[in-house]
Amino acid sequence: MIASIIVYGLVNSVILALIAIGFSLTFGISGVANFAYGGFYLFSGYLTWMLLKYLGLPFGLAIPVAILATGLLGFLTYWVILLRVRGIVLSEVIATFALGVGMLEFFRWKGFVTYEFTLPYFVKGVVEIAGVPLDYQRLIIIGIGLVLVLFLYLFTHHTRIGLSFRGIAQNERTAISLGIESDWTAALSLALGSALAAVAAIAILPLGIISINVGYDVLLIAVAVGIIGGLESAAGILVGSLILGYAQVITGMYLAPEWTMVVYLAAIVVVLAIKPSGLFGKFKELEERV
Amino acid sequence: MKKGGILFALVALFSFILAGGVNAAEPIVLGVPTALGSIEGKDGWMAVQMAVEEINAKGGVLVGGKRRPLKAYSIDTREHEPGIPVHDALTAVEKLILEKKPHAIVLGAFRSEILLASMDLIAKYKLPYICSIAMTPVFQKKILQNYDQYKYMFRNCLNAVYLVKYLGQVMGFIGKEFGFNRAYLIVQDTLWAKATGKGLQKWYEKNGWQLMGFDAYPLGATDFSSSLIKVRAKKAQVMVPIFDMPQSGILLKQARSMKVPALLCGFISPVAPGNAWQVFEGEVEGMVNFLFEIGPIPVKAVPKSVAFNRNFGKRWGEEARIRLSGHGPGPAYDAVYIMADAIERAGSLDPDAIVKALEKTDMMGVVGRIRFAKDHQAVYGLDPKEAAIGCAFQWKKPGVRVPVFPEIVAEGKIELPPYMKK
Amino acid sequence: MRYRKERLDRGIKARCEDIFALSSWREILYLLLPRAVPVLGLLVFPLLKGIVGLYWEKVLVITCAIGLLALSWDLMASVGLVSLGQALFFGAGAYIAGALNQAFGLSPLITIPIGTLGGALFCTLLLFPVLRLRGVYFAIITLILPLLFARVIETTKILGGTEGMSGLSPLPGIWFELYVPVVALLMALFGFRRLINEDYGLVLQGIRDNDRAVMSGAINIYKFKAQAVFMAGVAGAFSGAFMTHYYQFVGIPAFAMDYSILPLTCAVLGGVGSFAGPTLGAFILVPLSEVLRAFGTLRVVFYSAILIICVVGLPEGIFHYIQRKYHQFERLVEVE
Repeated sequence: MIASIIVYGLVNSVILALIAIGFSLTFGISGVANFAYGGFYLFSGYLTWMLLKYLGLPFGLAIPVAILATGLLGFLTYWVILLRVRGIVLSEVIATFALGVGMLEFFRWKGFVTYEFTLPYFVKGVVEIAGVPLDYQRLIIIGIGLVLVLFLYLFTHHTRIGLSFRGIAQNERTAISLGIESDWTAALSLALGSALAAVAAIAILPLGIISINVGYDVLLIAVAVGIIGGLESAAGILVGSLILGYAQVITGMYLAPEWTMVVYLAAIVVVLAIKPSGLFGKFKELEERV
Repeated sequence: MKKGGILFALVALFSFILAGGVNAAEPIVLGVPTALGSIEGKDGWMAVQMAVEEINAKGGVLVGGKRRPLKAYSIDTREHEPGIPVHDALTAVEKLILEKKPHAIVLGAFRSEILLASMDLIAKYKLPYICSIAMTPVFQKKILQNYDQYKYMFRNCLNAVYLVKYLGQVMGFIGKEFGFNRAYLIVQDTLWAKATGKGLQKWYEKNGWQLMGFDAYPLGATDFSSSLIKVRAKKAQVMVPIFDMPQSGILLKQARSMKVPALLCGFISPVAPGNAWQVFEGEVEGMVNFLFEIGPIPVKAVPKSVAFNRNFGKRWGEEARIRLSGHGPGPAYDAVYIMADAIERAGSLDPDAIVKALEKTDMMGVVGRIRFAKDHQAVYGLDPKEAAIGCAFQWKKPGVRVPVFPEIVAEGKIELPPYMKK
Repeated sequence: MRYRKERLDRGIKARCEDIFALSSWREILYLLLPRAVPVLGLLVFPLLKGIVGLYWEKVLVITCAIGLLALSWDLMASVGLVSLGQALFFGAGAYIAGALNQAFGLSPLITIPIGTLGGALFCTLLLFPVLRLRGVYFAIITLILPLLFARVIETTKILGGTEGMSGLSPLPGIWFELYVPVVALLMALFGFRRLINEDYGLVLQGIRDNDRAVMSGAINIYKFKAQAVFMAGVAGAFSGAFMTHYYQFVGIPAFAMDYSILPLTCAVLGGVGSFAGPTLGAFILVPLSEVLRAFGTLRVVFYSAILIICVVGLPEGIFHYIQRKYHQFERLVEVE
């Protein structure tokens, strides 16, 4: 049983990390609120499903199309909505949150709620690790998750664009004076974050069904991982998701499955009350409390 | 001019009388407040509409010498959603009552929590109410405790107590046939599912089975791996899932992908309809699922169920017929007929008279013979000539639902699924 | 020939300064009507229940409940605490009233006041440790708290668990049912408006604008924030306690997100900061949502669209716009 806990805990943690990456990129690293994250996540899932079912596209083609479409949606969201309220963080939060809720409820209204909404696995098959059966899909997820976290770190620390993301979050005026176009950079970060949401969705959704609840949960997970680990650090995402993932699996096994949701809600509250910037967060400390 | 005036007046008078004659056939209004977004609610509403059309085609309901047509209005209470919005649902029910002024309510609440919460509302408006989906036994207790207030409410679908009886018999068969005696309960965290689980737990204790675990998942949960790990570790032979949310299909998927060697026997809502084999790509093979009431699968011993199944396909199409959910459409159809029959026997639309007539109901419906016990619950049993029946079926290659219980409807026996045969 | 837009106070507004407001009936009515008409309308509406039908009276009650929540949101926003979780107040008041009624059989006339004060106190104590958080972090925690409580009640099965407590005592009589929320709404509306215009309100607004400056004036901002949360909590918890007895039921849906999003939308639509704005927003949105009930979940999409349009395009809200039009006029003037 211990082996099962370790393996499934790892799978759960990487899933959480994969979900949180896109959100951290926009909100943590670039300082652009994107609380419509759950909506984008589901949007990419439904889009892929519709491409597969109604247009009959092969899986290999549907995936890039969905990722690009979601990225484009994020890009447009910036220019249409966020541009006019840039800088007023609370208005950004409310506007994008409303967008997310609107998208999710729109899908619910369209009737995308029954069991037929599933995405196919990439590869079918099961492999045994230390006596614990693990399907290939979950292995692939672990792989993708770790690769993306690494990518996030390298991107934001060693490429010009990544560094400019961090620049506009630290001090927008200075960034502009250095020639970084703030609006384009923010839009790009939103697009990239949404595309990462799409990658996460396509990898993770085959494990279950595409249901509206997942949209709300995804936002909570992203916020939880971000807050516990520290919104702007890649290492924080990994550590935060490991803590949450294992806490969930262990409570599920030893306490009762109903407590798993309470775990990460309580974690957010506790961390916010004690150390709002999280484990690895640094530079927001001055702004977050009086 | 004057003649024209008289002629005009005569024509007007005539048309007035004619119109008055037509107006006299005021429709009897039936209200249907339920979760139209769930497959059970949606199919139930379609069944109600079909029943209303059939009755109207035969001329309507005879009340006090006049034949009046039926008219049904629905409203979506969204009660199947996680975080059951009770306040919103109650407002929706009240809106239906105040705007459409129904004489009776059929199909009723989907969630037991909503059913219980709306009992006071229904008592206030004194509406005869037949519930065809929600299954909690607390409903009957409340009726017995406070008969005068809650006497307007009836239920003609299966309830959790009867479900436990059915499950117990199936478990007994499995125990005798395969020598199994270790079970694991995984239920949904709602009233009816927990009541079923607890009842089954008592049955296991009395019959020498070991219960290796009893987990409850909230509505909307998507990850069941912690329970499945325990099922494997404790070597349970039978897994009993009791769910009506669409996400419960994930339980099946995860169980297959984790290669859990246990027989699945219970109720998973997305596995009940006929298209589940394609949706799950054959992974449902071997699962023993229940249909709480017959109708979605026609049973030759109950001709009305065969007719219902056929007519549903004709009215709504083959697709809809195949996808009939395992709980709700049969009793919903019957509820309309029961109400019409009771109104005719009462001879009026007075709620108290209808209630008395309902209590004396004894008719054959899609689900078998329909009679209400003193606590206003329809009696379910094993013989359709005596009581209403549900049935259990097992998914077998090449994608057929083979009824295996009760005796009178069985077309095959429960077999071990291929992944359990060593 | 080039033009610019000029905005000037209306003549009658200028004539209403100070004591001259009493100089003739026109000035008195100009000032009085915008306040008197809605108040009289609200007080008279329940009397019309024979004509309008019981259903719209029910809608009035729900509108008042949401209006109270919107007002409580607005008071907290005036201190700088933007909350995404008014459902916390609603749920706290609802559960306390419901629990007292079910456990001790107390009548609604006792449980509603106790629920109101108890709920407000509970929420204030709960939020006290996190009052020092600013901006987004406070919003996130208010978003999470109702969800957390809902889950905790669900898993520990206390206070009725998932099935909630039903069969609670009804309210004594239809007039009570209709008039109490209306009177409560009017009291909250005018009370809060008066509060914000006094010196106390000035301190609150100062905290919103620049809390460090207020701190440096040797004022304990936490005390003021806590008091503001308590007062907002009274309005919100009253709404919850009242609705418990109105539906004769309390359960996990008392913490539903609808009770957080809808007041927020009403306030943003109506105009943040002016308490009449959220009330106006409530009176537009709630009846509209009842009319649109046939569309099911599309209503929520509709609210979201309104919220986005208001936040982005009309940030001042309807009320400020109307107020501006009422007091001022615009005209095109030649540029010399």
